[in-house]
Amino acid sequence: MILFLQSLINGILLGGIYAACAAGFSLAFGVMGVVNLSHGDFVMIGAFVTYWLFILLGWDPFLTLPITLMVLFFLGLFLQKLTLNRIAGAPPIMSYLLTFGLHLVLSSLALRAWTADYRTLNPSYAGLNFNLFGLILPYSRLSTFSLALILIFGLYLLLYRTEMGRAIRATAQDGEMARLLGIRIFKVYAVTFAISAAITGVAGSLVAQTFVVYPQMGLPFTVTAFCVVVLGGLGYVPGTLFGGLILGVFESLATTYLTAGLSLVLTFLLLLVMLILRPGGVFGKGALE
Amino acid sequence: MTARIARKTLLAFLAIVALLAILPFLGLEGYRLRLLTLVFLWISLAGCWNFMSGYTGYIDFGPVAYFGAGAYATAILMIRLDLPFALSLALSGGVCALLSAIIGWATLRIRGAYFAIATFAAAEALKQISLEGDRVAGFEFFGGSHGLTLPPPPASEFFYYVLLAFMVLVVGISFFLEKTKFGYGLKAIRESEPSAELSGVPTLALKIKAYVLSSSLIGCLGGIEAYWLTYIIPDDVFNVMRTIQMVIMTLLGGMGTVWGPVIGAGFLTLVAEFLGAKFVYDYLTILGVVIIVVVLILPRGIMSLGKGKRGEAK
Repeated sequence: MILFLQSLINGILLGGIYAACAAGFSLAFGVMGVVNLSHGDFVMIGAFVTYWLFILLGWDPFLTLPITLMVLFFLGLFLQKLTLNRIAGAPPIMSYLLTFGLHLVLSSLALRAWTADYRTLNPSYAGLNFNLFGLILPYSRLSTFSLALILIFGLYLLLYRTEMGRAIRATAQDGEMARLLGIRIFKVYAVTFAISAAITGVAGSLVAQTFVVYPQMGLPFTVTAFCVVVLGGLGYVPGTLFGGLILGVFESLATTYLTAGLSLVLTFLLLLVMLILRPGGVFGKGALE
Repeated sequence: MTARIARKTLLAFLAIVALLAILPFLGLEGYRLRLLTLVFLWISLAGCWNFMSGYTGYIDFGPVAYFGAGAYATAILMIRLDLPFALSLALSGGVCALLSAIIGWATLRIRGAYFAIATFAAAEALKQISLEGDRVAGFEFFGGSHGLTLPPPPASEFFYYVLLAFMVLVVGISFFLEKTKFGYGLKAIRESEPSAELSGVPTLALKIKAYVLSSSLIGCLGGIEAYWLTYIIPDDVFNVMRTIQMVIMTLLGGMGTVWGPVIGAGFLTLVAEFLGAKFVYDYLTILGVVIIVVVLILPRGIMSLGKGKRGEAK
């Protein structure tokens, strides 16, 4: 019983991080129709920003979050202006290829700059945890989980309570109509992609505190984002929270009761079954073609 | 393309094939022979991907599933059952046909990004099964991350001719698609699936047929490569880069055309070989930049260059 509860809690804590990593992916897909294959590389870059600020300047990992936010916001804006803006309206395959090209460039430049070494962050409080009736809750996981929730809630507020958010949602619903109503959709695209990169980068900073950091960590996170977003409904941002939690718990239970390798097989099978049976996500609120 | 030009291109292609067929007798060997063999392999792979995705517009993002499955099926049949290569290869084609019929039957009802993600997931699932299957089942079958070693292969010339023949077969099928009702049906799906359905095109059946055709041939190519290299591991035969390469090559040449994959794959294999030899460490970065530049500058492929103002692929 305690084993089951412990895996459940581990899964929930993991799921929060997954949700934070995937929210930006869902946003970019919902608004621009872009399946961003370089999404995981934003997680990687965010993780490295935190890592280097901690190692070189001795900053606490949590204090690096605003820096990551800024760095990734401008990187996203730059990449959007330079590349994605030019293929707006092109067939979707163009966005797969373009973003895969970006993935290759970002991950191999990172490999050149920082080598393939596996790195971990070890702040003084890394090993501390909180014992609740025999269940172990590491402080670092609890705090990254809370921050992940705050991040998603912040994105929700931005989308549903601000003028910019209204413009973004209008563009997502019907770009042509939004344009007729005087929304500058290219500006919206640029800001959307920048926001997507920024929150993903911050999620990367959170990832750095519990996962291993290395240049090739991006692609697995892109795949995780796929799964989360499909579970929650593609393009439906609030759904990512539930998608993340479901995936986290599912993986954690599969790892406990089966083996880690099989848990990945099951994850992909879950993804396949979901796509076939409920392509709109658990709530059926995702974008459908 | 008018019929006359199409016939001329075909004749030129056959002349080149005839020339390629006698080259080994004129002293072609070693590295250059293997490089040309590699070009034939990639032209065939890109061509097979094009049958499905180029003609129907359904972007298959997991063709590598069948490349890997074919490689593993051939290897397992040859090692565990001591079957000869030709029989193993034919059986592997059958295995991939069956596998793709099942996966295609389930996934070809969903569209766009969903289909792309689903096929990608199927490929990754197969890769994980070949990696972890042994440990879970508790006996030696796939060889886990150590992979499998095949019996010693014949000389390089053997693969040169096998893959040359395969390439001719793939181009031949593309021609068949251009001229037959089957091919028109696939193109109708690409233009507008609901209209095709309304006009009486059995869309789901056609899509599954195209998917199975493409996947079983890709499976055979996986088997050929496995025997050629004699050593396979999951991370190589199921590598997502192979999928991307098939997609990029076809797109570079022009999707849904007979010659697009031939030109794109021929060009990119040689460029990649050159870059890989010259810039060992920055190869992937440069390849990424090449992909981005191609998408931004030539979104309709090399084939669109000579098309004039109308630019319609006919």
